[in-house]
Parts: sequence; structure tokens; C-alpha cells
Amino acid sequence: MGTGHTSNDKDTEDYLRIVDVRKEFDGFVAVEDTNLSIRKGEIFALLGGSGCGKSTLLRCLGGFERPTSGKIYLDGQLMNDLPPYERPINMMFQSYALFPHMTVAQNIAFGPKQDGMPKQQIEARVTEMLKLVQMEKYAQRKPHQLSGGQQQRVALARSLAKGPKLLLLDEPMGALDKKLRSQMQLELVSIIEKSGVTCVMVTHDQEEAMTMATRIALMDSGRIRQVATPDEIYESPTSRFAAEFIGSVNMIEGRIEEDMKDYVTIRAPQLPDVIYVGHGISGYEGQDVAFAVRPEKVQISKEEPAQPHNKARGKIEDIAYFGSHSVFHVRLPTGFKMMANFANQERWASEGMTWGDEVWVCWGENEGVVLTT
Amino acid sequence: MNAGIGRVLAKLVPGKRWGVIAIPYLWMLLFFAIPFLIVLRISFSMRDQTSSPPYTPIIEYIDNAVTMKLNLSHYATLVTDSLYVQAYGSSLWIAAVSTLLALLIGYPMAYVISRLSPSARNVAMMLVVLPSWTSFLIRVYAWVGILKNNGLLNGLLMKLGIIEEPLKILYTPLATYIGIVYCYLPFMILPLYTNLVKHDNRLLEAAYDLGAKPWQAFLKITLPLSRAGIIAGCMLVMIPAVGEYVIPEMLGGPDTLMIGRQLVNDFSAATDWPRASAVAISMLLLLLVPILIFNRVQQREMEGKLT
Repeated sequence: MGTGHTSNDKDTEDYLRIVDVRKEFDGFVAVEDTNLSIRKGEIFALLGGSGCGKSTLLRCLGGFERPTSGKIYLDGQLMNDLPPYERPINMMFQSYALFPHMTVAQNIAFGPKQDGMPKQQIEARVTEMLKLVQMEKYAQRKPHQLSGGQQQRVALARSLAKGPKLLLLDEPMGALDKKLRSQMQLELVSIIEKSGVTCVMVTHDQEEAMTMATRIALMDSGRIRQVATPDEIYESPTSRFAAEFIGSVNMIEGRIEEDMKDYVTIRAPQLPDVIYVGHGISGYEGQDVAFAVRPEKVQISKEEPAQPHNKARGKIEDIAYFGSHSVFHVRLPTGFKMMANFANQERWASEGMTWGDEVWVCWGENEGVVLTT
Repeated sequence: MNAGIGRVLAKLVPGKRWGVIAIPYLWMLLFFAIPFLIVLRISFSMRDQTSSPPYTPIIEYIDNAVTMKLNLSHYATLVTDSLYVQAYGSSLWIAAVSTLLALLIGYPMAYVISRLSPSARNVAMMLVVLPSWTSFLIRVYAWVGILKNNGLLNGLLMKLGIIEEPLKILYTPLATYIGIVYCYLPFMILPLYTNLVKHDNRLLEAAYDLGAKPWQAFLKITLPLSRAGIIAGCMLVMIPAVGEYVIPEMLGGPDTLMIGRQLVNDFSAATDWPRASAVAISMLLLLLVPILIFNRVQQREMEGKLT
């Protein structure tokens, strides 16, 4: 996943800088001291559950909240003291906040009009924006005469009409149904990339963040837990929280038994044997760690696998069928439940295994991640 | 056969559902349509002080002929007699100015109340409505005590040294304005508040975000979106204010000309029921026209302009 466009590195680093930003509401800390650097042209996602502080941070960027401390720089300019109407930042609001008494064209013209742009130029700009979001035919409609997807395009056009340096998206897909979502995600990305604007979005939907963003900041209780590209954050989570928040994972608690330069073994009470990790880690012997392995990295078979380590015997307790793949829940003798994906590449290939069958689960020595936090 | 009749009967006899729907219509018929027709009929008859009630019938049956005589002279008087023309003009003027004043005072109040926290809002709205729970007459009388030459207001102003002689406010048009604005202010605030409290704060944030300063956002977003509330409030103040009788009678003094006073005068002092009826009917028509226009405008706005 990920849209994977690369940005020009010279003089584009740190286009948006968030330095030690902290926000408190009546003694409650919504955002802990946060530091972030966002490159020009990037689509950056703040991802997290409700109440994690992502929306507060976004509102600080938009100027609707004042950080309690810390500084926000955009293109080298300090933003802190600028009210929203003086910031070169525009926001696409959750459920869009289109002006109900204005037509689509008037909504889009609102920003340029405030800038005192000459009338002809405004008209040209509105036409250009309508074309960008493919809504030319709807210029004279009122927002309530549009579908959810159309309203979203108008909202995007309105927030791009002033040519902002930074575009903020607040839960951009929140008001759309599931089917329309996946379609609009890619469309939104292509429009944003076409306009070349730097973008910070907020979402609670990991799939949305993975699809749309070039980089993701995973947030939890006011703190940023990890900043990485979508594939990095999925394949190399740095904390239990990150591993569990994104995708599903088998989390096995244990203790480092051998800490060698090129391998590590972990003693986990939930498994019959030690876990063998085929590379060194920065840890020490006796350290409490968690071993995280994704279900699709776990193989399931009726015969005992040939590999010496990282295997266990168990009983199939549940099978969840997803069409493209099935998830087998295998109960180990210790009581631990292990998830293993089985790709349905052949029709009825998983028929051989069913509830109550004794099976083996195993994983490669480099397929899991050792987490110390 | 029997079932067939039953079905026909069921169709003819209205069900319970219709009973519920009929109640408001019945109410309108009994307390609006029928009285209106009675007054309309009286307005077309002649004054006759020898009979009781003091007017002539308009339909007579003499010599095998039904004759209906519609006397239009009272309506003609309303147009030709300068007293009535002035009374109408001055009523409309006083009502319009009072409505404007009520809007200028009521809008900021409603706006501020709608921005309060929900619990504070309820208290504030309570305070707005609470005075209406006491008698209307008593509240108007209270203003006599406040405004008269040796009343509360003059006493306070003189004590503070702002004025030396008492101001003459009572029994002037100014007192009428004060009375009307005071009494009808809740009717202005209520619809405005109901409208403003529903406004989505994100719309204002979106306006700020797009470069509008707070006052610009107010003019471009809040004000146009509260149009329905403004119209409703103005109608609720203007319509009863045009026909207002008690306030100009008690506070306005003899030279404050209003159609309501004229109507009472015609009805009781002059016992000219037909003329009083004509005054009432034309007042109603006068107000009906703007009401219909406003209704149409609002409806068209609701439907939205389809292109």
C-alpha cells in the first residue's frame, strides 16, 4: 500500500515544523510536547483512536486552538500568533461545513473573494477548481442538492481555491459510506498531488491512512508513538501499541534468553520452545520483551514443518472466512491462541483443515518483530 | 353483501385518524373563519342605533324577493377620511419603528444567549420569558410609574445630576415605542434564538479559515443564515403591534394616533359597529398581504433554486 511518491529532498525538508507543541485544556493534556517535521508535497497522516489528540493538533495547525506552549513554523514563518484568517493554511472540515445558503460556485469563490481578488480572476479560479474536482456541471447547485461524494469534492475545491501552502483534512472520509470511501481515497490523493499542496490529514481509520499518506504519525494519549511510511509502520512497528493498532498481530510476551550478535532467542511461557530470531537486536539478556508476528507470516499445515524452531502444535478453534483469505485461530496446549492466515489461492484449498483438527503453526526466523516498549 | 356495505361505510365514515387531523381545522373554523365572516358581514351593513345589535341586516326578504344590500360606505370612509388614513399610516409607522428597534435590541441578545453554555442558555431564556408570566396590563402600568415626570427614571437621572428638569416621556410617542418594544421583545428573541442556536459553529470556522475576519463571517454566514429567524421575529412583533390598543392608550397620550384606538372608539363610544368592523377587516387585509409575501419568499428559499 502507500502511494509512494518521492519528494525532492533539497530545501524541502522541514516545510512544516512542529516544535515542542503542547496543548492543555483545564489541566487535561490533550497533546504532549510534540515534535514533527513534514516535507513539502507530502501527504502526512495523524492516525489514532478518538481522544488521542490528533484533532487538537490539527486544530492548532489551522489556528482554531492556541498551543499552550511550543511553536509551529510553516515555510520558515512562525504561525503561533496568526489567527486562522491570516494563515496560508486551509482546512477541509469533517462533514465539510459547506455554506448552505451559497451555491457550489459561491462556496469556492468565498476564499479568493476574501483575498480581494478581482472578479474576473475569481471566476477563472472557480472554473479551474471545478474542473480539478470534476464538478463543472454543478456550479449553480446548493450543497444540499449534492451527494456526499460531490459535497466532499466541493469542500476540497473550496479549501484549495486560495492555493494554500498547507492543506488540512479532518477525517476526510468520515461522512462517506464504505464503498465510496475506497474510491474517494485514491481520487482525493490524485487531486491533492495534482495541485502539489502539502497536506496533513487526521484519521482514525488505519486503512485510510495507509492508502492515502506518504508518512503516518501514530498517536496515542497525546503522544506520537511512531512516525514512518505505511509499509514501515506495518512491518516494523516499534512498540506493542503500534503493532496492535495497525493490522492484526500475534503478540507473545517473553524474556530474552540468549542475546547474540546475529541471533536472539526468547523464552515465552506461551510457547513450547524458545523463539529464534535470526538477527541481533538492541537488548540484553533477561529483558522482558514482546514478540509480534502478523497472521499472514504464520504458516499452518497438517504435517510437522521441517524447520527446527518457531513452530507449535495446536487445535483449530475458529475459522474466519474472508473470501480472499481465511484466518485460522489455533489454540496451543498452553492456552495461547495463535492466528494464521491462509491465502485462498486455490478454490477449496483449505478444505483439508477444519474445526478441531490438530495442526502445526510455524514462522520464519525473520518474520516477527521484537518489541521492547 | 354485508361486507360490501361495510366497506363502503368504512370509506364514507372518517376514521380516528381524521378526527385528530380535523381538530385544528375545527378550531380555525370556530374561532377564526366564523368570527371573521360575522365581522365581514357587519362591515357591509348600516348603523342603526334603534335596533340591537346596532346595525341593519344585509339580507332582507320583502315581497317575495331576497335582497342583499352591501353597503360599502364604511370602506369608502376609511380611504377618504383623513383621520383613518392617518391612523393607519401612523400605526404602520409606529409598528415598523418598534419592530426595527426590537430587532436591533433582540438580535444581539439572542446571539449572545445562543453562544452560552447549554445550562446558562436555559437560564437566560427563562429570564427573557419570565416577565411575560405577569399580567400584560400590570407591566404596562409599571412603565407609567417609571416614565412619569416624578417617576423612577426622572428621579434617578436628576439624582445623578444628568438632568435638572424632569423629562416628559410619558404620554408622548416615545413612551409608546418603549412600551411596544418592551412588551414584544420576547417575541423577537424567541424565534431568533431558536434559529441562532442551531447554527453550526464549524461554518464560522470554515469562514475564518478561508480568510474572513469574525465580523465578515458574521455578515456573510450568520446573518444570512438567520434570515428566517429575523423574518419570523419581525412578523411576530409587527403584526400585533399594528393593532396595539392598550400600550398607546396607557402610555401614548391623546395625540398618539393608532388604528386600534380608533377601532375601540368607533365600537364603544360611537357605537358604530359597521364602521369598526370595516376598520378591523381592512387592518387584517393590510397585514395579510405582507404575511403572504413573506411566506412565499420563505417557501421558495426552502425549495432552493433548481437550475
